[in-house]
Amino acid sequence: MSRNTFTTDGFGTNTQHLSHFQGGLVLRHHKKMSCEPSLHHAGIPEVLIVAIRNNRGHVSSPVVKVGEKVLKGQLMASPKHPFGTAVHAPTSGKIKAITDLHTAKPEAVIQTCITIQTDGKDQWIEQPKNTEKPQTPEQIILKVKAAGITGMGGAGFPTHIKYELKSALTEPTLIINGAECEPYISCDERLMADQPNEIILGTMWLLKAAMSKTAIIAIEDNIGGVKKKLDAEIKQLNLLEKGIHISVVKVPTIYPTGGEKQLIKVLTGLEIPSGQSPLSLGLIMQNVATAKAVYDAIELQKPLLERVVTVTGDVVGEPRNYMALIGTPFNYLLSLAKCDFAAVDKLIIGGPMMGYAMPHDYIGIEKTTNCLLALPAESTKPEIESMPCIRCGDCVKVCPQELLPQQLLWYINGNDHTNDLEKSRDHHVFDCIECGACSWVCPSHINLVDFYRFAKSELTYLDHKKAKAQLAQQRHEDRENRLESIKLERQAKRRSKTSKLTNKKTAKSEISAVLARIKQQENNKKT
Amino acid sequence: MNKPEPTNSDTLLNTSSAPHIPARISVQKVMLWVCLTLIPATLAHLYYFGIGIIWQLLLSVSSAYLFEWWCLNWRKQPIKPYIRDLSALVTAWLFALCIAPIAPWYISIVGMFFAVVVAKHLFGGLGHNIFNPAMVGFCVILVAFPQPLSLWLPPEGLSSISSSLQQLNWLEVTEWIFTGVISEQIDAVTAATPLSAIQTGLQQGYSLSEVTSKAIFGDFGGLGWEWIANWIFLGGLVLLYKRIITWHIPAAVLMTTIAFSTPFYLFNADVFMSPQQHVFSGGIMLAAFFIATDPTSGCSSFQGKLIFGAGVAVLTVLIRNFGAFPDGVAFAILLMNMSAPLIDRMTIPQPYGKKRQQP
Repeated sequence: MSRNTFTTDGFGTNTQHLSHFQGGLVLRHHKKMSCEPSLHHAGIPEVLIVAIRNNRGHVSSPVVKVGEKVLKGQLMASPKHPFGTAVHAPTSGKIKAITDLHTAKPEAVIQTCITIQTDGKDQWIEQPKNTEKPQTPEQIILKVKAAGITGMGGAGFPTHIKYELKSALTEPTLIINGAECEPYISCDERLMADQPNEIILGTMWLLKAAMSKTAIIAIEDNIGGVKKKLDAEIKQLNLLEKGIHISVVKVPTIYPTGGEKQLIKVLTGLEIPSGQSPLSLGLIMQNVATAKAVYDAIELQKPLLERVVTVTGDVVGEPRNYMALIGTPFNYLLSLAKCDFAAVDKLIIGGPMMGYAMPHDYIGIEKTTNCLLALPAESTKPEIESMPCIRCGDCVKVCPQELLPQQLLWYINGNDHTNDLEKSRDHHVFDCIECGACSWVCPSHINLVDFYRFAKSELTYLDHKKAKAQLAQQRHEDRENRLESIKLERQAKRRSKTSKLTNKKTAKSEISAVLARIKQQENNKKT
Repeated sequence: MNKPEPTNSDTLLNTSSAPHIPARISVQKVMLWVCLTLIPATLAHLYYFGIGIIWQLLLSVSSAYLFEWWCLNWRKQPIKPYIRDLSALVTAWLFALCIAPIAPWYISIVGMFFAVVVAKHLFGGLGHNIFNPAMVGFCVILVAFPQPLSLWLPPEGLSSISSSLQQLNWLEVTEWIFTGVISEQIDAVTAATPLSAIQTGLQQGYSLSEVTSKAIFGDFGGLGWEWIANWIFLGGLVLLYKRIITWHIPAAVLMTTIAFSTPFYLFNADVFMSPQQHVFSGGIMLAAFFIATDPTSGCSSFQGKLIFGAGVAVLTVLIRNFGAFPDGVAFAILLMNMSAPLIDRMTIPQPYGKKRQQP
């Protein structure tokens, strides 16, 4: 399929022409148990723990003080960096502390969090009277930025950035990602089934922000009911008459089809060039929950204060999706879902393939937290001593990025540190998306992704060091050059002076000038 | 409900990295499937060539495990996981299928010494061997003991041998294997392998069709041998179905064997074997599905695997047609093992997003 087919015709006519990515896994879904029960509001816990650093690593500076009273929707931290995100108080209460705590991020990294003692009143901050809806794309983007919206699928890229960066493009195609390829997670499916209207309207705002008319909502083919609901909503809104093409496309349920690169390959047959963003193909990808958050921000004037979280796992008595305030501690949600705490072996943020195991359950959920997964020891991967790689090549078969995982392991595990690591770069280690498919199929039980993460960070560090060393060398050379030029200058001066003195014609006048100067000085001393 | 501290705060939870769910596969299972798929061919071997294969299996497996255990102790490696991975069993089994069923007892032991101790453990053990261990063992004894290896029994169903001699008593076979005393019957009944029969026949000035009209030849290759090849093919299909091997190497080996031997055959059918004789006699089928597919000593990328398989086939056909040995599969495998790292370096696949200029 060429790119023109969907930018001009829209996807309504050719939804059947799907491509596919190489590799991937067919996994057991485990989604039904959490998806079937209706969406519940989790309510207000006594304490909220809100992290003020987003997933891109940009800290927002707090604008509230400990002991201060805050109202729902009040700005608590404002971004300093353009990639930062605004943080609002999810409910009313008192700021209890601003301290460093574990966060629901990779490795549960310890970062600054604002702890709020809630008062249970859920009192809103006074809304601005001016409820006029934004008209221009710039106004929409500003609104989205002010609402503190980040991508809610997992990577947490600040939403407004995508639209600020796209300025050069005309009519990008918007892809709304509803393909939750990881087992157990069902929050997006629940959201699409319950609030199709909000999602479509949010998508329309995003289209307006992107100055585009074409959007694709991608869902997995095992959730047919959701497609009907979305299609009905699109029909009811008479979008086609308005010239807007929003189509719902079912994609095969193969892990990791919900990954940005893989989904784009499936939908368009195109590959994002290595190291670039979907914008290079004229595409913008957004999670369904993000579309809903945009709807809330623009139509309801609500900043991003809550999200749907799947609370599930084999030791959770009543798995369910909860609408939870940002900052709700895990243990609050887990006890709502009747979790057997004693039996928990791993508490995972996200899915079982790419999620992160948390050290304890007193951590607040974040804007990117889509799932709380509590697994007992029986269902987690046993801690077996890994065997040597036998190069069986199962990892090559499943790698959606078409890498050679066993060769990467060989070079990363090599004894000659820097030399072999460079070879892993030649084998494209930086194209690894860390989906975990290789680790999952490895018969030797090697946690391959750990090696790739190590190699990436180590290579980045080495590059940084090399750049620094180069800079230092550059500086040293510059200094040498400078000293050299000063020396030359001095020599030239001296030479001109001596030449003046040695030349008989000029020597006399020079000498008399010097004598005159000395006399002057002596006179000055006397007076 | 919402305690201001973690539940079970005294014990931190397990934070090992993703993926968190097990796939329930292991090296042991991979090796077990290889062994299971070798059973039909082994039974066919037993039917056509008698009890010898059982003794060879017992000898090679027990000596392989003895050497494995000794090497693990010597290298101070954990014993249990490495004994249980069944890799030594696969090596021993493949080796036993390669050698003559009435080879004397020390053949297996010497072969396994070179396979397990030299080819495997001296190179760093499981997953680190450059050469296929079974083929190293086989090549060493092929060069060191050519005479006992060439003594094969005539296959079951061979009409030219009188019925009284056709079936050797299993006791006599056992006696021969363990004592080396040639009873008169044994001397009378031993036959050459089809490939060595062709080679000696050609050297004596017969034409190929004259040689292959002898009774030890069947429809495609050697009598009995072709059926073993069929069962190996079946086992290979199971391995393909179980996704333990990919189609690349078997397809490359078999297709290249046919494609590369055809011109020779067309050029002079009196001297060069036909493609079907190439495919159905000797070790080419076993090599295509079970030996060249050894991942440790082979290539890793799909393109590399195709080159590797084609190389094995080309070398085998060349050695068979022009070399000093009747069959060249084992040498071809070792030569290609040597080239595998180079092929790997030349065939690094371009990953997602780096393939071609985007439209």
